[in-house]
Amino acid sequence: MNILIMLWKNLRRGYQTLLFPAHPRVTPRFRGLVQFDPALCTGCAVCRFRCTSRAIEFKAGKGEFTWSYNPGQCTFCGRCVEGCAEHALKEGHTEHALSQQEAVPPVYTTQGELKKSYTVARRPPAAKMATTATARSAGGDARTTAGLEAGATPATGGAQ
Amino acid sequence: MKLLKRLMCTARRRSPWLFHMNSGSCNGCDIEIVAALSPRYDAEQLGVRLEGSPRHADILCVTGPVTRKAVGAVKTVYDQVLGPKAVIAIGSCPATTNVFIDSRTLDGPLDKHLPVDVFVPGCPPRPDAIIAGVAKAAQILAERGNKAPQPIVAIAAETTEEVNQ
Amino acid sequence: MNLLTALARLLIFPGLLFAVPAAWFFLWVERKSVALMQERVGPPFMQPFWDFVKLLGKSTPPRPGIAGLLMRAWPLIAVSAAAGAVGLLPVLPSSGGFEGDLILLLALLELPSICIIAAGFSSRSIFGEIGSAREAALSVSYNIVFLLAIVSIAASQHTFRLEALASAPFTPLHWLGVLAILVCLPAKLHINPFSLPNAEQEIYSGPMTEYAGPELAMWELSHGLEWVAGTGLVATLVAPHIAIPWGGAWLAACIFVAISFGVVLLLSALAAATARLAIDSSVRFYWQCTLIFAVLAVSSAIFMRFRS
Repeated sequence: MNILIMLWKNLRRGYQTLLFPAHPRVTPRFRGLVQFDPALCTGCAVCRFRCTSRAIEFKAGKGEFTWSYNPGQCTFCGRCVEGCAEHALKEGHTEHALSQQEAVPPVYTTQGELKKSYTVARRPPAAKMATTATARSAGGDARTTAGLEAGATPATGGAQ
Repeated sequence: MKLLKRLMCTARRRSPWLFHMNSGSCNGCDIEIVAALSPRYDAEQLGVRLEGSPRHADILCVTGPVTRKAVGAVKTVYDQVLGPKAVIAIGSCPATTNVFIDSRTLDGPLDKHLPVDVFVPGCPPRPDAIIAGVAKAAQILAERGNKAPQPIVAIAAETTEEVNQ
Repeated sequence: MNLLTALARLLIFPGLLFAVPAAWFFLWVERKSVALMQERVGPPFMQPFWDFVKLLGKSTPPRPGIAGLLMRAWPLIAVSAAAGAVGLLPVLPSSGGFEGDLILLLALLELPSICIIAAGFSSRSIFGEIGSAREAALSVSYNIVFLLAIVSIAASQHTFRLEALASAPFTPLHWLGVLAILVCLPAKLHINPFSLPNAEQEIYSGPMTEYAGPELAMWELSHGLEWVAGTGLVATLVAPHIAIPWGGAWLAACIFVAISFGVVLLLSALAAATARLAIDSSVRFYWQCTLIFAVLAVSSAIFMRFRS
């Protein structure tokens, strides 16, 4: 008898479905896409070391480095974000380059379509260490470009 | 004739029947596929039916990095799916083998063996992302018509961007 | 009746042209009401039609030999039998249906089950054999009750003609027979709790495992036509007793369709409320619980017959 009462209540309440293109809200602690901020990145590569699935690649060049992230390879564990935060704290910064947004990676059709790479020039060290006066080889500051938005086209900027 | 063709294209878009195949997955993605059929996300609003036999289905949903023992099974099941068909790789495992990269028991991403049409990334992907992937695959099926699926493409080149100085 | 009227009744109304959209409509009603009872939104209205068209466009695997020929034939036999059964129903009671009799209707209603059993065996797949064996066991069990109930109704009225049965006076035996038919319908239509033969994920679709494309479209269509014929049989036996003296033939036809619709909703509620029973439980249900009512019906029919 219980089940019939339940069926009747379901009929009265109507459907609870999310109709097709709608997405549900995610909670604040949702671990989604990793977002990279080139202005804050110091090039320590801790995130590459801590990444469990080799989604982050780091190639150091002369005076610049290339950081790339493939959401299709990522397992959204958050270790890279934790590592970046710890390393930044150790150096006395409160901001760090990696954060995890509440966005979900989009559906794609070609292998490797979502991979994003950034080439960041190395900056001179922060004010606290400027007294040592060892110049890094890079020139001016790296200006930021758009962060890693899901599905956004990468900005093509001029080389340094 | 054109009317019949449009009718068939609409029918293929509005009635995607799935067959789900697990090629060594941890079952996280499989659970999310079942969750996509639950009342909250309800894949049936798109006409999706989870079929019991690969001969009945149009779309093959594969989860799991393809283990060496599963390669033959995946290829057999793909051959058993008939007619205009599409393949969805659900989760990041079939697309890129995710955390199991370098494992000795795997045989490459799914791309190596089957022509994959849609990748649904996530670990596991949310059920609404899976439904979006199925809708996209149904759209691809409708547009493809009776042509055979494309041969296996190489991995697309990465897009690099230079930071403005 | 002459050949032309017969062909019109068989092909147009209530034959193929009316039965096929009615089949799609009833299939949609069942899926949508089960979904609403489960708090889901369910498929859109034209869904069974789109399924049918899409299946017609799929290719079929090569089927060599006599087994392949049989495999291709069974769905067509099932569809024509079910469509013929729908054509026999007296939807417009004053015109009396097809002037067929009850025996023909029962035989035509039986054929789709037999075709499913034969198809499972001729598909040479192990899942098909298991599914067909289950369907055969279930079929034997519910058919005894089904046939005994209908035969007792017919025997008490001394006639086998559908329109005579439909306008027969009201007896408790009549309602007992209708109840027995309602109890057997879930097994005939493969709904929960007796949806064993086409159990998905358990035996990979059972007898239908190897079927694809247009053949599968025919199987789905025959399933829909079985719905129309089964609910129409109940409506035939029930409708005239709710007949309103005025309104003419078309109102009676609307009442017929409305009663069929009501039976579909009832069966959908049953399908949403129950889970699938295993084969031993389903067979035991029919032999232990319902056989007693069928025996009661037959004995009271014989008793009434000897009394009159």
